[in-house]
Amino acid sequence: MRQWIGVAARLIVGVVDIAAGVAKFPDPAGNVRQVRAFQILPEAVVPTVGHALPTVEILIGSMLVLGLLTRSFAVLATLFFVAFIIGIASAWARGLEINCGCFGSQGVPADPHRQYALDIARDIGLVICSGWLVLWPRTRLALDNLLFPHHERFADGEGSEEAVEV
Amino acid sequence: MAKDPKKQSKSERAQALMREQRRKERTRNLFVVASVVVAVLIIAGVLFFVQSKNDTTGKAVGASGTPSNLSGTYNVVVGKSSAPTTIRLYEDLQCPVCRAFEQQVGSQIQSAIAGGQVKVDYNMVAFLDRSSTTAYSSRALNAAMAVLSTAGSDAFLKFHSIAYANQPAEGSAGVPDSTLVDWAVQAGASKSEVTPLIDGNVYHQWVVNATDQMSKDDVTGTPTVFINGKKYTSPAQAAAAVLAAIK
Repeated sequence: MRQWIGVAARLIVGVVDIAAGVAKFPDPAGNVRQVRAFQILPEAVVPTVGHALPTVEILIGSMLVLGLLTRSFAVLATLFFVAFIIGIASAWARGLEINCGCFGSQGVPADPHRQYALDIARDIGLVICSGWLVLWPRTRLALDNLLFPHHERFADGEGSEEAVEV
Repeated sequence: MAKDPKKQSKSERAQALMREQRRKERTRNLFVVASVVVAVLIIAGVLFFVQSKNDTTGKAVGASGTPSNLSGTYNVVVGKSSAPTTIRLYEDLQCPVCRAFEQQVGSQIQSAIAGGQVKVDYNMVAFLDRSSTTAYSSRALNAAMAVLSTAGSDAFLKFHSIAYANQPAEGSAGVPDSTLVDWAVQAGASKSEVTPLIDGNVYHQWVVNATDQMSKDDVTGTPTVFINGKKYTSPAQAAAAVLAAIK
């Protein structure tokens, strides 16, 4: 059962990440402006971060959907979501009116406060999913199972029901 | 451990075998992990390279790519310099909220400019290219700059009004360059002068840089309105404040 919940968590986080990355990909200049709008990072790194964001999202998302090196990429995903939550919360606290840019959308939302709350709620949901995968990275339908077939006998001391029968 | 192997018990031998197998497996797993990580890094590098390459922001603009009759690098001030009130506007020609703002206060602003009560500092940007299938936002701004360059700021102001009155819907194909030329001529530009500027999208890089400047000015959406330096991001408040300022 736990392994199937893990599959769901992988798909939720993975698909959301891929969708976010793909939506951002066609507009690199817009991504740079979005990063700058948060007024957190120094200007020297803003363009690099803006250009890296969609790539990182697409890769983390793909690795989770495939179930490749699940735990490592779930850790990365969790760190990213936490960073986003901090960024959005701090923009909210400072009264900045920005779109989170999460899916490459542009412009200021009609009701920024509501939008901030929704964005944070969504990111907390995603942190729960990716956190689950950090704790229990062994899931069904994952490439990890093909690449590391005996892994659970040695490294994963969790004794999940499937692992015991090996 | 220096025991004669023959004297090892069966279980000891089994354990040694197990350890050996475990070690081999660990090496193999390490190799697999390293291969996957290298593959991911290569893909990441390629995607990042594509992103950076597709972003021409900040690229230098030559003289032929820079509009004439600007007041600063990226703005045009319309109105008497003695006017007591300065309205600084950030607008995108594709932005529907800007259109609503222009419908609400555009004509009053124009008469206040003519009456010398106000001067307006237009900072036009184009970040909504993805709202049409033909990058209308930046093409329209290019056309507006073609009008400014060849026919001056009054014609620019007319083009600005025509463009908002005829703004294409979001998600549509925008309007073709030939229509932009028609609008430019209506605004007072010479057809033979603006046509190559509009067809060639000659100010495109300037438009990209102007849009980046907006973000560096900490303006994150349009319309953003400054009245004598005070910032309004809510269009309704901005419109009310504009009307109060030019009363």
